[in-house]
Amino acid sequence: MTVLAAIRPDDWNLPLFVHILGAMLLVGALALVAGALASRDLRLGFRSLLYGVLPGWVVMRGSAEWIADKEGLNDVDPVPSWVDIGYSVADPSLLLILIATVCTGLAASRQRGDGLRVTALVLVGILLVASVVAIWVMSTKPT
Amino acid sequence: MYDWLLFLHLISAFLLGVTVVVYSAVAFGATTDGRTMFMADRCWDVGGLGTLVLGIWLALHLDQYDFFDGWILGAIGLWLVATGLGQSVIRRRAVGETAAIDTMHWLRTLAVIGLLVLMVWKPGA
Repeated sequence: MTVLAAIRPDDWNLPLFVHILGAMLLVGALALVAGALASRDLRLGFRSLLYGVLPGWVVMRGSAEWIADKEGLNDVDPVPSWVDIGYSVADPSLLLILIATVCTGLAASRQRGDGLRVTALVLVGILLVASVVAIWVMSTKPT
Repeated sequence: MYDWLLFLHLISAFLLGVTVVVYSAVAFGATTDGRTMFMADRCWDVGGLGTLVLGIWLALHLDQYDFFDGWILGAIGLWLVATGLGQSVIRRRAVGETAAIDTMHWLRTLAVIGLLVLMVWKPGA
């Protein structure tokens, strides 16, 4: 199993590389947003969500589909549980990202609205925890 | 054992990603407070140590890899370059010397991307 996990066909490498790069951008930008919102820098928080978190999610999710297609995982019946969990974490994350972006944008434009800032901060915290779960699932591939 | 090593190795790599993203935001003109930069630097400390120690542990744990494989030595070399550049950036920021900081940051970013390339393609493995 260890050997199987470590060796893969060469043509899976590019989508895997793009997938990890997108996920790293996503998580890094989420951490930046958390720091910015915690120190009440709403402008930086909003820009990081818009130019870091959202593109990171798109790259991560798009390349997840790409590599799943290469590996034929979507054609397997039943779909492996680690793939299912990955989708179950990634897809609702987009909704949370969009809500956090709207909350931060509104709070930034009003220059007040601590409730919106705190809401966005909680959502970003949930997204960071979800990211750790996704990384665990992708690395351990539980069946 | 392998699964946990790989998981913690990946978490460490993501911490390096946090540092790179925060410094990239600064390079693009964002103003951040000292607390955010402190967090970014500690992420590199923990992530850097984690990737190195757990990466070597993984290489020793798996039969098909050897510590002296070219891609592993290359990764250690890139890790040293990236960490050295990061330390230089921190030193220069501390004394207010801003020249070349952005260049050093982007070189560190390239080194991290190079590390990821080596980890995924594992040339020569």
